[in-house]
Amino acid sequence: MPQTTDREAIADVANPLGLDGIEFVEYATSRPQALGQVLEMMGFKPVARHRSREVLLYRQGSMNVVINAHAGGRASSVAPNETPVIAAVALRVRDAAAAYRHALERGAWSVPTQVEVMELNIPAIHGVGASRLYFVDRYQEFSIYDVDFVPIPTVERAPPALAGLHWFGLVQYIGNDRMEDWTEFYRELFGFDALPDEQRFGILPKGRILRSPCQKFYLQLIEPEPGIVDVDGDESFSRVGLGAPDVAAAVRALRARGVEFVESSDLHSGSRGALTKSRLGGVMFELVHSERSVP
Amino acid sequence: MTQRSGFVDDFGMDTITLSGSLPAKLLAMRDAGFTQVMLKASDLVGHPEGVDDAVRVVKASGLRVTGFQVLRDFEGLSGHLHDYKVDIAKSMLEMARAVSAPLLLACSSTSTHATQDIDALARDLRKLAMLAVPLGIRIAYEGLSWGRTINEFTTAWEVVSRADAPNLGLGIDSFHIFAANTPLTELDALDPDKIFLAQLADFMWHEVRSFEERIATARHFRVFPGEGVHSAQVAELVQRLVALGYRGDFSFEVFNDDYQQIPLAAVAERARRSALWLGEEVLRRSVPLPNAMRLRKAGAAAASESAT
Repeated sequence: MPQTTDREAIADVANPLGLDGIEFVEYATSRPQALGQVLEMMGFKPVARHRSREVLLYRQGSMNVVINAHAGGRASSVAPNETPVIAAVALRVRDAAAAYRHALERGAWSVPTQVEVMELNIPAIHGVGASRLYFVDRYQEFSIYDVDFVPIPTVERAPPALAGLHWFGLVQYIGNDRMEDWTEFYRELFGFDALPDEQRFGILPKGRILRSPCQKFYLQLIEPEPGIVDVDGDESFSRVGLGAPDVAAAVRALRARGVEFVESSDLHSGSRGALTKSRLGGVMFELVHSERSVP
Repeated sequence: MTQRSGFVDDFGMDTITLSGSLPAKLLAMRDAGFTQVMLKASDLVGHPEGVDDAVRVVKASGLRVTGFQVLRDFEGLSGHLHDYKVDIAKSMLEMARAVSAPLLLACSSTSTHATQDIDALARDLRKLAMLAVPLGIRIAYEGLSWGRTINEFTTAWEVVSRADAPNLGLGIDSFHIFAANTPLTELDALDPDKIFLAQLADFMWHEVRSFEERIATARHFRVFPGEGVHSAQVAELVQRLVALGYRGDFSFEVFNDDYQQIPLAAVAERARRSALWLGEEVLRRSVPLPNAMRLRKAGAAAASESAT
């Protein structure tokens, strides 16, 4: 993918935060070992643990996943329960403080962070449901994980990606008649653009797809099925999408590791994409054909 | 509770009309046959058992929450005043969310500290709307007839249009329209999907010229639709909104000192008579409108299906 230049003012307008992809995705669960097993089947390797909290870092290729089982200090409504949920997404930005200010000026809710001594204070805003969006700017010359995490001895710190897997995006479930609200939210705060309806990826084409201003990942917004009375209107991140240059090869490699895929008459693995079977009460991974070469 | 006849489901009461405790107000509304309630923040904050218990009482009442009021003097401020109002707005939004209120009512600013630059007002309302998105709340912006810059729905509409946020729309209030003598024909220029709430009240005087007179009348001498001297206009307003395609709620916002000192059941009964007049005689409703269950729109469904 060609790098968007940041030398022209026009690029700044299109990408006000200098967004540059996903730094990590964080799951919250009270059963970190169980989710860790699922992640390892998906090709992730545990590489580090947090200095002060029950938090683990998994990695493959360019993707970092944080499993947070730390219960202390959280509001009871977001204390981890057994079913893992996507609790946070960390976004790479040019300048985290500036990005945070930009978002607050346009109507984001700040999240008070609880930082221990000598830990990084990563600015965060409220996202969908109980989730958070972090802004991270130290991802090139320096790793945030070097500060807050201790490497697990003997493991490879930069395990290669299985079958070229990389972040493709996230799927967000939204309430009835909320498509325009969330589209505007992501456009106003981050500079996301809606793709035309005929442009779709993978095998689950519902809803609307928003493209990040850095063009490195996508958000897919999905409303309830037509005709369903949406009683509670729960909204959340539903799953992550992993890009694979060759979906069939990725499916083969993952099957060999014990991953099962949804295979039905409506929905089955193909060259465009695939969907893993739900584990631990709701954890799924979607594979999407994506040519992006992974460094 | 006796069996009621007559269809009044388009209409609800504001808690501001009744005195007494929150449970007593909700009970009086339910007993009068209403199915929805417009809450105010002090219903929750002033509840002796606390906000959490107030939320429980509202949910247990079975009444649908029409909306939550009221955020005042939000737009047009700068510096620390703006930051302060954002904090207040966030508290209001959190309470609205707690009682499952689908919208927060925001009244146009009366503050002399606020700018009169329409674009700045629009920018602030857009920010308020974005604050409300993660909570799933819509913002209804209402032009107070004594607002400093925005004091009619026509100018409120101008600001809402400039702000251009999907969850920001208009709150229409009959009192302010009649007080400011805004021609009802101006309603025809509105997009009915951007009218989020219609508040109805009548009053006893024919004219309220000065801002001071409007404030005094609005806060103490409103009556239910059909009880004042603007009944024909209220009926015309309701008919025009419905003809325009408005399918949202109507709520009676009746500030009245007398109603604060007579039994709740008696006031709720007056509200019911008003709702019956509007529902049965003005709108001639006999059955609920189709799609009143708030199902997802068929058009939106078709669009996403065609993408598959």
